Amino acid sequence: MLFVEFRFFWFFLAVFCVYWSLRENRSRKIWLLLCSYVFYAAWNWKFLFLLMGSSALDYFVGRMLARTEDPRARRSWLLLSLGANLGTLAVFKYFNFFVTSAATFLAWLGLPASVHTLNIILPVGISFYTFHSMSYTIDVYRGKMRAISSLLDVAAFIGFFPQMVAGPIVRASTFLPQLRTLRKFSEVDVRGALVLFLTGFIKKACIADSLAPFVDRYFAAPGSFTAGSAWVAITFYSIQVYCDFSGYTDMAIASARLLGYELPVNFNFPFFARSMSDFWHRWHISLSSWLRDYLFIPLGGSRGPRWFVYRNIMITMLLGGLWHGAAWTTVIWGGLLGLALVVQRKWQHWTEHGKQARNWTRWLGWALTMYWFCLALMVFRALNLPDAFVAVRSFALFRSEGAQDLGAWMLWIVVALGIVHWMNFRGTFANWWRRAPDPVFAVAYGCAAATVFLFIPPHYTPFIYFQF
Amino acid sequence: MNKRLTYRFVCVALGLGALLTTSFIYRALLPPSLPEGVAEKLEFFAKHKDEFDTLFLGSSRFYYAISPEGFDQLTRENGVPTRAFNFGIDGMNPPETFYVLEQILKTEPRSLKWIFVEVDNIETKSHLKILGTRRLLYWHDWPRTALTLKKAINPRPSTTWYQRLNRLWTARRELILHLGLFEKQFTNVGRAVDFFSSWNESRSLKWDLLLGPKGDGYRLAGAPMTPERAEHFRRKLAEEVSASGSEFIDPYAESAYRECATRIRRFGAAPIFVVAPGIFQSPLRFRESPPPAPLLVFNDSKTYPQLYDTKVRVDEQHLTNEGAAEFTRLLALEFVRHARQP
Repeated sequence: MLFVEFRFFWFFLAVFCVYWSLRENRSRKIWLLLCSYVFYAAWNWKFLFLLMGSSALDYFVGRMLARTEDPRARRSWLLLSLGANLGTLAVFKYFNFFVTSAATFLAWLGLPASVHTLNIILPVGISFYTFHSMSYTIDVYRGKMRAISSLLDVAAFIGFFPQMVAGPIVRASTFLPQLRTLRKFSEVDVRGALVLFLTGFIKKACIADSLAPFVDRYFAAPGSFTAGSAWVAITFYSIQVYCDFSGYTDMAIASARLLGYELPVNFNFPFFARSMSDFWHRWHISLSSWLRDYLFIPLGGSRGPRWFVYRNIMITMLLGGLWHGAAWTTVIWGGLLGLALVVQRKWQHWTEHGKQARNWTRWLGWALTMYWFCLALMVFRALNLPDAFVAVRSFALFRSEGAQDLGAWMLWIVVALGIVHWMNFRGTFANWWRRAPDPVFAVAYGCAAATVFLFIPPHYTPFIYFQF
Repeated sequence: MNKRLTYRFVCVALGLGALLTTSFIYRALLPPSLPEGVAEKLEFFAKHKDEFDTLFLGSSRFYYAISPEGFDQLTRENGVPTRAFNFGIDGMNPPETFYVLEQILKTEPRSLKWIFVEVDNIETKSHLKILGTRRLLYWHDWPRTALTLKKAINPRPSTTWYQRLNRLWTARRELILHLGLFEKQFTNVGRAVDFFSSWNESRSLKWDLLLGPKGDGYRLAGAPMTPERAEHFRRKLAEEVSASGSEFIDPYAESAYRECATRIRRFGAAPIFVVAPGIFQSPLRFRESPPPAPLLVFNDSKTYPQLYDTKVRVDEQHLTNEGAAEFTRLLALEFVRHARQP
């Protein structure tokens, strides 16, 4: 079930009406959990047991951590949780990747090996809910929060349907306190949530899905297109990924808000970032902050010798790349972005005292950040490494033997979308819709929704981040 | 508290009302969104509507099997001259057939006298998805959707409540599919995209391909089947013949065909129902006698062995050009016989 499907509307309507008609917090949480499991089972009910197992295990580990003060025992319990969560991820997401990569490596060494791959499908949202789940046990282990005595709370947190399959990655310490208090409808910003949902819907269904066919056409055979087409394709893909993922997040935040819960902001105008580190403060914020707090800092963070910091950055970004997909293209993507962060650090170190220099580099910084992001994204989107090489060469060196053309005039679409995005960044659209009386807002919203439907391609493209 | 609740309900009702009204206005303003294959034929027919008095409306079993030119020649020779057009469309089954018929009649063709409609059961299965979203979407107005839903649930009068519930559960995929398509159709999903893309493409370029070499809607079929396939066909046909028996058309299709016949008559034309020579060997019959229109049944290899010779068949459902010529001849003769009856 996708947020942009009509059946989600009926599903959510039922969830919403029953949820707010229940008086007790416990009944509401039971209802939410049931609905979350129905939502997940609509995709594949068999993997529901995996989700339930993960919730039960982390609840149990949380309880055990609360019972003991012995550091060795506590570490063992944490390792059990991490092992189980990362092990599940490794089996379902990375097993075939590791096995085939090892076989290719052995064959390269002249040691051919026959390997068996698993015929399994990737459970939707596994990368997201394992991170939700791990954040709970790690926070309890670190003493940042107390273990939760209610299995219902832990299960409702991990399985909460708006954020379960594609984020944002919510921390236990942010969400669990919200679950413990009875939400009041009078405190819900219904209007803001509705506008946010429609914005997300437009981003995903109208913009991302309309650009998808052009992107798919290019990346199916990048070698047969001109170098200009590489620029069109990658700019379209950048917008597609952004609109697809931030659209999903907007709808997830809006759905949660309508039920009285606040989810963290996941995107903050990333295309206006002026450096790569600024970019990661604006793009998939919940993941980058998760990786910072649970991987980069435990590795040593920014403390210590410079090479040590660079190592930490590269490890974090390579693993972040691997998180996005079990393929070398995603690992290289992470590596390229990590490299950019390292170069930026080095640059900042050199120009530490040259304030003047940093002022003029702002615009250059923006251009370079966008250029590097697009280049890395080319590798990310390519179907395989040879295709990635062809696409990058075409994009970076303007060299391509292909004759097919996507049409450079299409970049005007990018300009138009850019202007709207910039106006939004400047706050042009902010809050004017709050001033109208409720009935006027309701009528305008109905008309706007009917107009938006006209621009949806009849065939929906699945959310890109579902595959992660 | 009650006042506040009422106020919220009023706001929700206003929002929904605005959504429905706006959707309704857009529907009225925008041209109908027809998929490729249907749009070209309808557009061509609308331009030449008064030139034709006979129409063949059905699936690819009509599209590749009835030559209007051959049909007209035979009817002329037998003293019942016609000017026919083949409105066969790949994969068109009821209720899509009924929707297309309605669109044809909306063009108000003044000369139309005979409409041959292919008879088949109503298709509800989700494998219809292979036709593509746009093709599935356009005919999902409420009468057609309701017909499909009824067929999918099939609530027989004697069934108990739990049997009905079980039917609902079994048919859930079809229900979700068709209700979703109805919602999309009603809310004009993608209509602006269609409208803008129609500016860029010229349908007349596709006319040559879709309307066939003579421009009468008949498209030439492929080559006869390979020896291996022919062997398989003979085996399957033998199985079908041994299992054959007279079979009733499903009750929802029957009532829809009756309605269709009434509609055609009201328009001033005469309906003729045809069962095409597919591999399925049980002749479809209507429950209530007499049938709503003359019923010409060709899926009988004993009566029409020449249509089941592997040399004239492309596959289980389709005929070669040679087979099409023979089927056209048989159909024309049956028609003449029928037309001459007082």
